[in-house]
Amino acid sequence: MTSTALSPEPPASWRRYFGFSTDAKVIGIQYIVVAFFFFLVGGLLAMIMRGELITPEADLVDRTVYNGLYTMHGTIMLFLFIFPVLNGLNNLLIPTMIGAPDMAFPRLNTAAFWLVPVFGILLIASFFVPSGPATSGWWSYPPVSLQNPLGHLINGEFLWVLAVALSGVSSIMGAVNFVTTILRMRAPGMGFFRMPVFCWTALAAQTLQLIGLPALTGGAVMLLLDLSVGTSFYRPEGGGDPVLYQHFFWFYSHPAVYVIILPVFGIFSELFPVYSRKPLFGYVYVCLASFIIVGLGLIVWVHHMFPSGVTQWMRNLFMVTTMLIAVPTGVKVFAWLGTMWNGKIRLTTPMLFCMGGLFNFVFAGITGIMLATVPIDIHVSNTYFVVGHFHYVIYGAAVMGVFAAIYHWFPKFTGRMPYEGLGKLHFLLTFVGANLNFLPMHPLGLMGMPRRVSSYDPEFAFWNVLASLGAFLLGVSIIPFLLNMISSWARGPRATHNPWNAIGLEWLLPSPPAEDNFGEHVPTVISRPYGYGTGEPLVEHQAEIERALTLQEANR
Amino acid sequence: MTSSTPRGPGPIALAALAVWIGLLALISVWMAGASLRWLPVQASNAAPLVDGLFSFETGVGTFVFLGVISVMAWVMLVHRAEKYDESDAEPIEGNTRLEVIWTAIPFVLVMAIAWYAIQINTELGVLGPMEHIHLRSPQEQQGGYPGDRLPAEQVEVVARQWSWEFRYPGEHVSSTELHLELDRPVTFRLVSEDVLHGFFIPAFRLKQDVIPGRAIDFSLTPTRLGRYRLRDSQFSGTWFAANQADVVVETAEDHAAWLKQAAAAPLQRGLSVAADEYADRQTNPHGGWPTVVPAPPPQVNAPGSSSLPHDA
Amino acid sequence: MSSTPVPPASPSGAYGEGQHANHNLTGFIIFLCSESVIFLAFFSGYALLRLSALDWLPAGVDGLEWRMPLINTVVLVSSSFTMVVAEHFKGKGKIWLFRGFWLLTMAMGAYFLYGQAVEWSGLTFGFTSGTFGGTFYLLTGFHGLHVLTGILLMGLMLVKSFVPGNYAGGEEGVIATSLFWHFVDVIWIILFVLLYVWRA
Repeated sequence: MTSTALSPEPPASWRRYFGFSTDAKVIGIQYIVVAFFFFLVGGLLAMIMRGELITPEADLVDRTVYNGLYTMHGTIMLFLFIFPVLNGLNNLLIPTMIGAPDMAFPRLNTAAFWLVPVFGILLIASFFVPSGPATSGWWSYPPVSLQNPLGHLINGEFLWVLAVALSGVSSIMGAVNFVTTILRMRAPGMGFFRMPVFCWTALAAQTLQLIGLPALTGGAVMLLLDLSVGTSFYRPEGGGDPVLYQHFFWFYSHPAVYVIILPVFGIFSELFPVYSRKPLFGYVYVCLASFIIVGLGLIVWVHHMFPSGVTQWMRNLFMVTTMLIAVPTGVKVFAWLGTMWNGKIRLTTPMLFCMGGLFNFVFAGITGIMLATVPIDIHVSNTYFVVGHFHYVIYGAAVMGVFAAIYHWFPKFTGRMPYEGLGKLHFLLTFVGANLNFLPMHPLGLMGMPRRVSSYDPEFAFWNVLASLGAFLLGVSIIPFLLNMISSWARGPRATHNPWNAIGLEWLLPSPPAEDNFGEHVPTVISRPYGYGTGEPLVEHQAEIERALTLQEANR
Repeated sequence: MTSSTPRGPGPIALAALAVWIGLLALISVWMAGASLRWLPVQASNAAPLVDGLFSFETGVGTFVFLGVISVMAWVMLVHRAEKYDESDAEPIEGNTRLEVIWTAIPFVLVMAIAWYAIQINTELGVLGPMEHIHLRSPQEQQGGYPGDRLPAEQVEVVARQWSWEFRYPGEHVSSTELHLELDRPVTFRLVSEDVLHGFFIPAFRLKQDVIPGRAIDFSLTPTRLGRYRLRDSQFSGTWFAANQADVVVETAEDHAAWLKQAAAAPLQRGLSVAADEYADRQTNPHGGWPTVVPAPPPQVNAPGSSSLPHDA
Repeated sequence: MSSTPVPPASPSGAYGEGQHANHNLTGFIIFLCSESVIFLAFFSGYALLRLSALDWLPAGVDGLEWRMPLINTVVLVSSSFTMVVAEHFKGKGKIWLFRGFWLLTMAMGAYFLYGQAVEWSGLTFGFTSGTFGGTFYLLTGFHGLHVLTGILLMGLMLVKSFVPGNYAGGEEGVIATSLFWHFVDVIWIILFVLLYVWRA
């Protein structure tokens, strides 16, 4: 173990980002960079789709191409952007926040990461097979997903199932690792109720992965067998049941939304206290709410299937469980408001992204309650209302939260400060773009425009033009972000160990931290996190540690 | 901006707060009313019930949303740190009473909404769209004309890649445009010949997936004259977006006349955008990947039209 | 290791719980819990398909022969006990007795796989024979894959037992393998009930 934190930029350091590193901090950045590569790919597909939808006719691309585009957009954004980017944050933050030198299984971690480019390439390759990529949506509902016009064994759908299965393997490897790390490798003194909320939410989210993903994998195996060897689990003509797949799919894919949003709740819970200079309001309730969401999140999946032919009592039951999720979620939202109340708010870039994310999330929560209500859902399910709702959740809240996290922890892991001006421009474009893109989808859905269409009736044109303009604005919004990241990493001002004056173990490490973080000298945690204004130190000998870090920074 | 002293709000602040909450409530009530205009015309007996629920939730949702946003705006305006103020705020770690209140309020609120929705559900079930699902046995599919095995008043809806066919077994009529009688309950028998489809008429606020291998009974009552769109709502492949049909709600006399005219008409090619576009694609390829070949357009008595202006 | 910039934090600072401890067993148990959900998914899929089927058995098939699978079941379940005995001897340091019973467990697992193969070869239906055939081969095949994995893991542990001093302080690999084997056994009991005992 060679620590090079003191020496200025070791010459070979950038190369480790291109190799099989076992350092969680390197893997974290690898995850995030790869994820943003696929974010650009998925975003490009989205903009072609919005280009098609700017006019009612199917004119820009062929209908099969449109179906391929929306399928790949959804698949890439979920399996190749949002999950990897969150795993990247987990890798960066979990060990440093709990004072562990690395993940519990560093080699497993490396393998889990390197599967991402593998299945990414597999998925992208499906554009180049003769039958084209999968065109049946990221749900891949049979029997339409089992239709294979050319009859080739290697077809888009086949590659899609393979990629999703590999993604599942990678996620399970990651989940085993994260959960073990959090359970077994916390710093001395860090009981569960002294653990940062991000770790609580990561633990909750990864628990959901462990319970949910195998169900999807099982369902996908059966889909693959139906597609490739002629079994008939889902084929009605062989006695199979297409609705069975929907149960498998949503048993995982609804909790998957919580896998995405829970860590973002964690990010909000970390950042609001820092930039309000106040402790997190109701820390214990916020921690516990995550696990209540896990429990409820596992028993709501049928709300995706209200029009699929489920009985009335099931509809009512799953409506009630779905609505109950509003309660722990509400606890969190109110806790953040309570944190900000009477605080000393600093509108830095990360704080702006958090507030924008919270704004969008509350909106998404309200449309979520509408969608849970069976009679309303019957009208708007499978329409643009749903598309609008989940883009508010995923882009409006989750991606905004991810941006907040990147701006907030960028100095810690790169040792450089991001530029505020570019960051605020990025926020403004993202916030306006997201709302312009996704708000018009709600009236469209209410009017009855189905999702996944490549053409539509002319009465929907107005809102579609607005949405398309918003999408192009979102496309532009990524430019200041990329500029900021590249230029500030290359030549941004040097970061101190704690530029935001935040409380947390990770801020007691130099920026960037040594490969083994605290090494042998893990400080003992003596108080709750987020002790802003209390004057209580977080760890034993905190003053000495900080003095040493400051001294070191003065000398470099 | 002195209303937030740590000692608790004074009478002026409380009054201002009350006025503000009143204002939010007014806006919410207005939004609840406005929300009805975002929806298509109400053309079935289910529509007013669904719209009422939607309007109610829009009102409640607006109030909650504006309340949260107000707090965010307030802290941004009032509780901003001064420039160069590096100090921390007063550390308040929580308040159990507040926690209990804001756990209880959402709980009561969503349970109230759920209770309201269950009432509506029950009523909708009584009114019609309580679907009955049977497995389609293979023997049944081999049967002759559907009229031989269906109740006369039932309309059979056959979904295909990519066309809709409507059969009126009592009158020995089939069409690619759905004609319904005003204010008369109708029961559909929804079947699919290939993949999942969605039977969705926005003006009726009703939707039901059509599942291959099952026959689903689905009933409703149209309540407004006019021409509406039926859209496929469950992704069904290449021409999914074009898999639409018109629904005509007409008076009893018009309906009888239409049935009579249709019964007399010879079988002819029904509407199928997919078949037309596929033929065009064969002669005039413009890229794209291989596709499932559309089923031939159904042979029907009354093709109808899908280019006439529709109400919703 | 060159000196890290952080000064000695505390006299007890060298605590570093994660430093040397081995978390493999924790990770493996978490993995097993997750793995069980796949079986749960297959079981529930099987039950749903069976309950909603019009004709569950394909034409010309009237149920599964259960005597041979019952013998198989007895062998597999007993192998869990021989494994416990093997572990008991390892705990007492009687390494050769451990190896003997461990090998016996492996042999019983292999016999189970052989029996499974014999059963498969005698069946009149294939995996394309409706949902009955599909689920039967899926469930037994997926379980058989786990049995095979278990035997391979046991083989690995047996080889490792010849590394001098390897088992001196207890071996997590053996515990993990035995957990896996018990897991495979329990799954089989459920499977046996679902496939052979559950009659129309």
